[in-house]
Amino acid sequence: MQHLDEMTCLMYIERQLDRARAQEVSAHTQDCAACRTLLRALERESRLLTRAMLEEEDALPARLAQFQERARRSMQWIWTVAFGLAATGVYALYSGYIEPWQRELEQAGFGGSNLLSLLIFQGAFWKGWQSMITLLEVLALVTLAGFAVAFFRKRVRRGSALALMLAGFCAALLLQPASAMASETRRGDSVVVGPDETIKGDIFLFGERVRVDGTVDGDVFVFGHDVNVNGHVKGDVFGFAQQLRVNGQVDGNVRASTNTLTISGTVAKNVLTLDEAVNLESSGKIGGSLTIFVENLNLDGTLDKDLLIFAKHLALNGKINGAIKMKGDTLTINSSAQVAGPISFEGNKEPEVSPQAKLVSPVDFHKMEHKPRYMEGHYYVWQVIWLAAFVLFGLVLFQLMPRFAADAVASAERYGASFGLGVLVFFGVPIAAIIACVTVVGLFVGLASFFVWYAALYFAQIIVGALVGQWLMGRTRETWPLIGRMAVGLIIVRLATVIPGVGGWIKFGVILWGLGAISLALYDRFQPTLAANTPSAPYTSPLPPNTTVGGMQPA
Amino acid sequence: MSAPGKTEPTEAIARARTGDADAWGVLYREYASAIFRFCRRALPTREDAEDATMDIFAKLMRDNRLLQYDQSRSFTAWLYKVAANHCWDVLRRRKTRQDKETDDLENVPLEHPDPNQLDKLIEQRTSEEVRRALDKLGARARMALVMRYYSDMSYDEIADALGVRRAFVGVVLLRARHELRQALGQSGALAAGGTS
Repeated sequence: MQHLDEMTCLMYIERQLDRARAQEVSAHTQDCAACRTLLRALERESRLLTRAMLEEEDALPARLAQFQERARRSMQWIWTVAFGLAATGVYALYSGYIEPWQRELEQAGFGGSNLLSLLIFQGAFWKGWQSMITLLEVLALVTLAGFAVAFFRKRVRRGSALALMLAGFCAALLLQPASAMASETRRGDSVVVGPDETIKGDIFLFGERVRVDGTVDGDVFVFGHDVNVNGHVKGDVFGFAQQLRVNGQVDGNVRASTNTLTISGTVAKNVLTLDEAVNLESSGKIGGSLTIFVENLNLDGTLDKDLLIFAKHLALNGKINGAIKMKGDTLTINSSAQVAGPISFEGNKEPEVSPQAKLVSPVDFHKMEHKPRYMEGHYYVWQVIWLAAFVLFGLVLFQLMPRFAADAVASAERYGASFGLGVLVFFGVPIAAIIACVTVVGLFVGLASFFVWYAALYFAQIIVGALVGQWLMGRTRETWPLIGRMAVGLIIVRLATVIPGVGGWIKFGVILWGLGAISLALYDRFQPTLAANTPSAPYTSPLPPNTTVGGMQPA
Repeated sequence: MSAPGKTEPTEAIARARTGDADAWGVLYREYASAIFRFCRRALPTREDAEDATMDIFAKLMRDNRLLQYDQSRSFTAWLYKVAANHCWDVLRRRKTRQDKETDDLENVPLEHPDPNQLDKLIEQRTSEEVRRALDKLGARARMALVMRYYSDMSYDEIADALGVRRAFVGVVLLRARHELRQALGQSGALAAGGTS
């Protein structure tokens, strides 16, 4: 009898023979004692080998036990670099933007206060310490919510549960201001607060023609075409109007965005406004500072503190008890003008100053240089800093929301849908946010939507950067490779957006595209899917060729 | 090491994929011993095994190679595959006790040993003797046996790690067994058994 060779026997016990050959071997071993013994010996040899190798004789050496700590430390440099980059970015932002602004404001004599105190304590947002307590409460609540989200994020894996919790938190926030806002709203073609009326609390006025002739013991929020404030407002005035005239007395601040703003009455605190034309008439008086973005300002009245102005033209006939800081085209100081502080003017033309004007010091004039930005060295430094900031922002977002980021990048490949939806969201969300803000209850939702939309403008560029990176380096859905592609793609996108002439349009297109991709990913995420929670089938590896799994075994 | 049937630390794996150092610590504690033993079997000295274990985990962490791991499959098996590739790279670079090339493997004589003597040999040898004999084998033979009988790797995985065609894996394993028997001092007698 011809015996089986050893290789065949080995392949048989290793289950590497095809079924027919395995059956032949099995049949042969029924009759051949020698081959049966060989098969058994090979099997015992396999078991001996496994046993010899699996028996534990070597404990983990101390050197390897220490390696764990070393390995942990080796990962820490990544976070050190990340925090270092973040700190550098924050410092660059502060030293490049915030600090110069703050310095200029302080030089302009804003009571030596910093930017934050200017915005809060001198602004319309400052409501006294009582509201500060409320603000602190809100901040405490937000901090607590942040901790709660971080805590539950580790435990509550289901996105829906987290979304429910966030929705509850938002609802609580919405209820909070809604209950606190005891206010009155009036609408119509012609809205009037009569001369004999006294309104307790805030009032919202919407109309073609709006008149406030009476007294408002609170703030006035006014939206209209032609608005006159003739009465007495004990709080602030927020105005969005074609024409806004303040003929009466405002004890607080005026914050306005108008076509024409005329002040012939008294504003006890500050005015912050964005307009085409502003007139402070000779009878008009502002007790605080005037911060203004305008085309033409005629200042005939009295301003008790400083004037910070970005304007095409300023004509000064009145009295300013503080300093002037102006950036614009032309400055005319007429004979009746009086300025008690220093005047700094950066403009295109030499200021026209009447010799009769009473100035504490000559005008400090700097001619505005119109060198193209890309001719300046620091422009490129800032581009690099911005690029680093974008990459860092993207890194954080991709780490926080790896799946969503990958989905958004995938959505960006649906070019038509992305662009279409991008246009819709780009223009639609701010409009919707403004409409939401107009309704009192929707104020929080409107502001929140606007901030999310604004953040999405930056995120959009990161998404497109990641897609461009994928074009160059191949597709991936893994987080770190995707971050790498995002960094490479962002460099290209940012380079494209600084090309003189077309860069702005490229940036606009990138924003529309990315915004649409984010919106598509959000839309897809909130679509109900029937099999969303169905566990995937366990993976079964394909059988190798010539396998007799389940076939006959040696006796 | 996760024993067969024991649940693998999927959460730690998922977190380690995102670069979580603590999760890497968990994986290291769980798997370092097994990978060290694998390396100890595959490489000539204990120091080599220690270095290799550290290198394997360091590379995994540094390059975040966990991203290449298919989470639907066994993590243990994947880790053994990584370790096998690393050890084989180490051995190839050293070119110590290099085995015959693949061409020679085709001509290996498929002798029929005396079944009774083989059975007797297996019966008489202890685990300790087998481990000592393993240390005397050539790199390829030892790698093949460790991959197959320690980490239970498939023929495809062994072929991939050793860089040979799948059809030769059986030949490599059989040749390794012959080397082992020779090292155990009985190979000659077994080979002389011939066919009946």
